[in-house]
Amino acid sequence: MGQNERATIQAVLAGDKDAYGALVVRHSRMLFRLAYRMTGNEADADDVVQEAFLRGYQKLASFESRSDFGTWIYRITVHCALDRMQKRRAEAARRVGEEADPELDSVQVADASPDPERLALSAEIGALQELAMRGLTAVERTAFVLRHMEDRSTEEIAEALKVKPNAAKQTVFRAVEKVRQRLVNMKVMA
Amino acid sequence: MKHLNQEQLVDAYYGGKDGVAERRLKRRLDRHLGGCDECASAYDTLKSDLAAVSASDVPERAADYGAQIWSRVAPLLPPRPFEERRAPGMGMWRGLSYAAGCAVLVAGAFYVGTVWEHYRHAGKTVAPAPEQAHAPAQPKVVVVVLGDHLDRSERLLVELKHADSDSAETAPLKDEARGLLAANRVFREDAEKDGDADLSTALSHLDKLLTGLADHPGQLDAAALSQLKDEMNADGLLFEVRVLRSKNPHRNAAVRVIARGGTA
Repeated sequence: MGQNERATIQAVLAGDKDAYGALVVRHSRMLFRLAYRMTGNEADADDVVQEAFLRGYQKLASFESRSDFGTWIYRITVHCALDRMQKRRAEAARRVGEEADPELDSVQVADASPDPERLALSAEIGALQELAMRGLTAVERTAFVLRHMEDRSTEEIAEALKVKPNAAKQTVFRAVEKVRQRLVNMKVMA
Repeated sequence: MKHLNQEQLVDAYYGGKDGVAERRLKRRLDRHLGGCDECASAYDTLKSDLAAVSASDVPERAADYGAQIWSRVAPLLPPRPFEERRAPGMGMWRGLSYAAGCAVLVAGAFYVGTVWEHYRHAGKTVAPAPEQAHAPAQPKVVVVVLGDHLDRSERLLVELKHADSDSAETAPLKDEARGLLAANRVFREDAEKDGDADLSTALSHLDKLLTGLADHPGQLDAAALSQLKDEMNADGLLFEVRVLRSKNPHRNAAVRVIARGGTA
């Protein structure tokens, strides 16, 4: 963590609330990317980012200055996203037998490109990816996203999930197996 | 070497991102994959499958996305969301202050309980007046007459003469002897001052017997009674007392005030 960021945190702890804005601006996009990959939903990802910064502000006194703020708020975001996913799944479970949740049933894909051809390709890839990951539990999805998309090590995943490294490794392996199985099933159906 | 299982293939795919041991494992697995077509084929399938979920397009966010989030977060931040950063050792002092507070509470409760019990008992019993409660015990003042003293002494000597070892009989003798001692000493001192040798000698003799009787430890058994009578010549003393009573009736009217438990 740079001197500048450390000074910013000290200012926030000293009562300068606005100083926290600098940290929010600096890390928001990185956290959104993580939150979106975990939740698979833009609106949820925005809410997760907001919730993560709120939690971070409330817990800032417990932040150890020798560690990196980005890593610290990243872990908080992982937990916020996990909470959000588990909440969504609990809501979906309650709706079983009632009406289907259109937001959960449809696959949301990125709308990043103005090019219609690329947009279609991107949508297809995104949909495939989202469908493949839908069978994962919240923890498995988190472990898979952190490992496969966020390029995090087993130790980092273990710290983020607050489990032992071997358990994190096993969770990743389980997630990979499930994703591959779903991909095979989709190919058969296609 | 055996073929790699699925877990080892996943290790080979991700292992390079981990620590030294994992990287070493990956190198070993890679060597196997280089020489084993079957495993290499399985590994290629794994890579292909995972590639399908690799190209994750994340929706773009505006350049001012951070500012947008801040504008949503800022109004929600509490004015004092957390405690001031504690100085090192504050936790220990806080713990100590809690412990001290608890100790004061316990001591206070004990004191209040003690005071409460004291007043509760004070309400049930008759409390002595403050001056009585703290004043030293006053000796009882008794007016004694020499003639009466000699009468009582004579009766005691008669009872002693006929007493046996029965404790029911000897116990009152000891109490009576104690009761006579103070008056006997006063009258003996008077006789010495007045130069009445007969009375002084008789009362001195009586004094020894009364003291021996009063201070005798335990019960007066047959042997102790016999010893006391012999040593003190109780029979002779009884005779002396009787003589004194009859010899000087005027003197027998002498009155002294004594303090029972003290001197006159």
